[in-house]
Amino acid sequence: MAATARERQFLDPAVVARLGTLELKARTIVEGFLAGLHRSPFKGFSVEFAEYRQYMPGDDLSTIDWKVYARSDRHYVKKFEEETNLDCHVIIDVSGSMGYGSRGVTKHEYAQCLAASLGYLMNRQRDAVGLTAFDERVVATLPASSRAGHLRAFLLTLDRLRLGSETDVSKPLHQLAESLTKRGMVVLISDLLDDPERVVRGLRHFQFRGTDVIVFQILDPDELEFPFERAARFEDMETGDEVRAVPVVVRQQYLKAMRGLIDRYRRDLGGCGIDYHLLSTADPLELGLLSYLSTRGRSL
Amino acid sequence: MSFLSPLFLLGAMTAAIPIALHLLHREPEVRVRFAAVKLLRHAPVEDARRRRLREWLLLALRVAALVLVAFAFARPFFATSAAGGSGRVTVIALDTSLSLSAPGQFARAKALAREAIGRAPAGDLVGVLTFADAAHVAATPSTDRALAVAAVEAASPGFGATHYGVALGAASQMIEGGGGSSATIVVVTDLQASGWEAAGHVAVPATSRVQVADVGAPPPNLAVTGTRLQGNRVTATVRNDGARERDAHARLTVDGRAVSEAVASIGPHQSAEIELAGARGDTASVSVDDDSGVQGDNVRFLVLGNTGLPSVLIVTTNGDLTRDAFYLQQALLAASSDEASYQVDGVPGAQVGSQDAARLQRRAAVVLSSTRGLDARGREMLAGYVRRGGGVLVTAGPDIDGDTVAEILGGAATIAPASARPAESMTRSLSPADVRHPVFQAFGSRAATLGLATFRQVVPIAGQNCQTVAQFTTGEPALIDCGVGGGRALVFASDLDNRGNDFPLHGTFVPFLHEAIRYLAGGRAQGDEYLVGDAPPGIRPVPGIASVAGPDAQAAARPIAINVDPREADLERVTEQEFQAGVDRLKEAGRVEGQLKASQQEGRQHVWQYLLLLAAAVLATESFVSTRAA
Repeated sequence: MAATARERQFLDPAVVARLGTLELKARTIVEGFLAGLHRSPFKGFSVEFAEYRQYMPGDDLSTIDWKVYARSDRHYVKKFEEETNLDCHVIIDVSGSMGYGSRGVTKHEYAQCLAASLGYLMNRQRDAVGLTAFDERVVATLPASSRAGHLRAFLLTLDRLRLGSETDVSKPLHQLAESLTKRGMVVLISDLLDDPERVVRGLRHFQFRGTDVIVFQILDPDELEFPFERAARFEDMETGDEVRAVPVVVRQQYLKAMRGLIDRYRRDLGGCGIDYHLLSTADPLELGLLSYLSTRGRSL
Repeated sequence: MSFLSPLFLLGAMTAAIPIALHLLHREPEVRVRFAAVKLLRHAPVEDARRRRLREWLLLALRVAALVLVAFAFARPFFATSAAGGSGRVTVIALDTSLSLSAPGQFARAKALAREAIGRAPAGDLVGVLTFADAAHVAATPSTDRALAVAAVEAASPGFGATHYGVALGAASQMIEGGGGSSATIVVVTDLQASGWEAAGHVAVPATSRVQVADVGAPPPNLAVTGTRLQGNRVTATVRNDGARERDAHARLTVDGRAVSEAVASIGPHQSAEIELAGARGDTASVSVDDDSGVQGDNVRFLVLGNTGLPSVLIVTTNGDLTRDAFYLQQALLAASSDEASYQVDGVPGAQVGSQDAARLQRRAAVVLSSTRGLDARGREMLAGYVRRGGGVLVTAGPDIDGDTVAEILGGAATIAPASARPAESMTRSLSPADVRHPVFQAFGSRAATLGLATFRQVVPIAGQNCQTVAQFTTGEPALIDCGVGGGRALVFASDLDNRGNDFPLHGTFVPFLHEAIRYLAGGRAQGDEYLVGDAPPGIRPVPGIASVAGPDAQAAARPIAINVDPREADLERVTEQEFQAGVDRLKEAGRVEGQLKASQQEGRQHVWQYLLLLAAAVLATESFVSTRAA
């Protein structure tokens, strides 16, 4: 029940997808998300002083300003505003397979919203945020920055992304890993319908360079459940190859293969310390933000 | 390939059902653009091309199964009789019967035959046959017209009687032999009505076309159509086949000497009997003067003396009379009160067909005690014998098959099958139903002694137009008398060889048998007169007196008279329409025979069984393929 209640306060991705601009979508998601947090577990990690407050039982003793105590014989604790120099790179997959959507929102739209929300949140936390889009090669790049107005450029770039052709996750990852000069954080948003071994190898490249990695695998509920009934000709959205199949016959094998793929990512990525999150396009986008914030907390 | 029930081929149209379903079910196929097709490939699916191939294969198998079942029900078979040629054949059947020997008739017939040859379409094979009692191929079908014309030129009229059935049958065989796909038979004839009297079992292909080239009516004719010896007088029957009354001058010649003559006035298309005295000698002839008509029928020959013993042929299972028909043989060999007896010969059923027809016809009677081994030829021989005036005594013992007897007697009498025969435990006696019947007349007041014999095994016998001559004391017919064609048959409801009864052990048996044989032989020719068409082997088929050897080496040769068939003297004609009606009957017979032959061929080949097996295999394959793909 608790989970249900929590989910209720989140926004339906399909509803978000109908909102006007990407900026509006991002703001709606993030503000709503932040407003929903009763007590931010992330506040206090900033180094910029914000205010004093009288000590209350339960406050961390390390936050007591002993100088003020010496002057006033009262216990006050310092409060700081969040401040960081973390470079965050959002890497978004725009291959053809991301165009699939069955519940009013495609994986691409979902990924766009998630990336926009993350960018918005990062900007709000004054992290430098960059963007890289790829299909089988890098199709768009926006260097990380925390300057004022960068968020608009980020969202504009994100909004202009169009679906490309086939997926090759590893190549752009290697390319981007080589170009990073400063350790930071990389967020990969993709359906990861690629060779797991090559994908993991590409992500580990970031780790070698001291970069934290968060992976969001975005899949459509159809891809997770394969609910088709009628025999159909399934056309690959990237290659155009056709496979005729009777769903009732192939469902179990397909689901087994899909579970195998997911388990492989979860196992291999978890094994090398990479945060892996599977998101269905039916899942609230806030779950992605939570995952991000959790990882960011560890990174600082 | 032919079909016994071709209508079932319509069932092959059901093959359209799976085709229609296949085509109608080809609704626009659902196409799903999907991202994780790569994972789908790991599942056991097939690509579109393979699936399409499989669907076509399934469709083909289903259609094939339905077509095979339809073909199986149509009862196919491979026809072996037809030559399967592709050409057309024209057969000229030239009538060479005696009536064509009238002045000017045969010349006209030849001209018509030549004309028919000339009319035959270019490229047709043309054959020529001549016919009277029998048919002879004068020119086999070929494209050489000169050969056909030469055959016509070489033909000449004989002494035979017109027999259209023989002609059409032979022509049909020529057509089959020639391998023609379509055929025309041109019958050049004077359209004698008597030519249709005995068409026999002749089948004319239903697809053949029969044309008539009418030679025209022969000139007025006088003919001696029969002679009857009464003491020393000969009664001759003379027919006037002209439109006017004529005086017939008849002469009797005995042993080459003219002994008497007489004149009679005969009305148009009428016959008259002329008595001629002085018939003392060995052989004689009666002739009339007729210069204008057919010459061959102006004289008729006869034998005045008769030296041979009447012979009886007993048909048994093995032909060994001492084993199969001992009592019959001994009873017939026994001398009777008038010191006459019979020459008795035995023949196994299997060899009846190989008997000389003319010799068979001379038999006083045939006793049929077994039908075992009696083949179609034998049955036909016996049927022909009785139709032409022969007498048959059927002893319905355990070796007699009712169907065979019915076939021989033309259905005149029926004998119940073994399953319908009464139990052996009941005994019964014989009792004449009509003591005035020639078989029992000789018994007179002692006819009751026939009841001393005891019968254990009897067979129900019956006949629509048969007279019940004797009954058993249980009321069942014991002896029936049936007229069959020109002959006669007595059917006895038990055997006559001491197997199902003790009749042969009683004193009444020999006189009963003698009287029965005498009765059967009574209505027959004496065995010394032959028609031209039935002349014994080795004797020229021309009218006259001939000499034939006796039945064995010790017997002296005896004279026989050979005469033209009196039917030929009847010059009444049929119209072309009536002729075609006769042809249609033969065509119908041809159709029936063709169906029978087809049925027999189909029954031997069992193609339908193979087709059904194949259909089952196809269905099994279809099931296997569809299950694998499901």
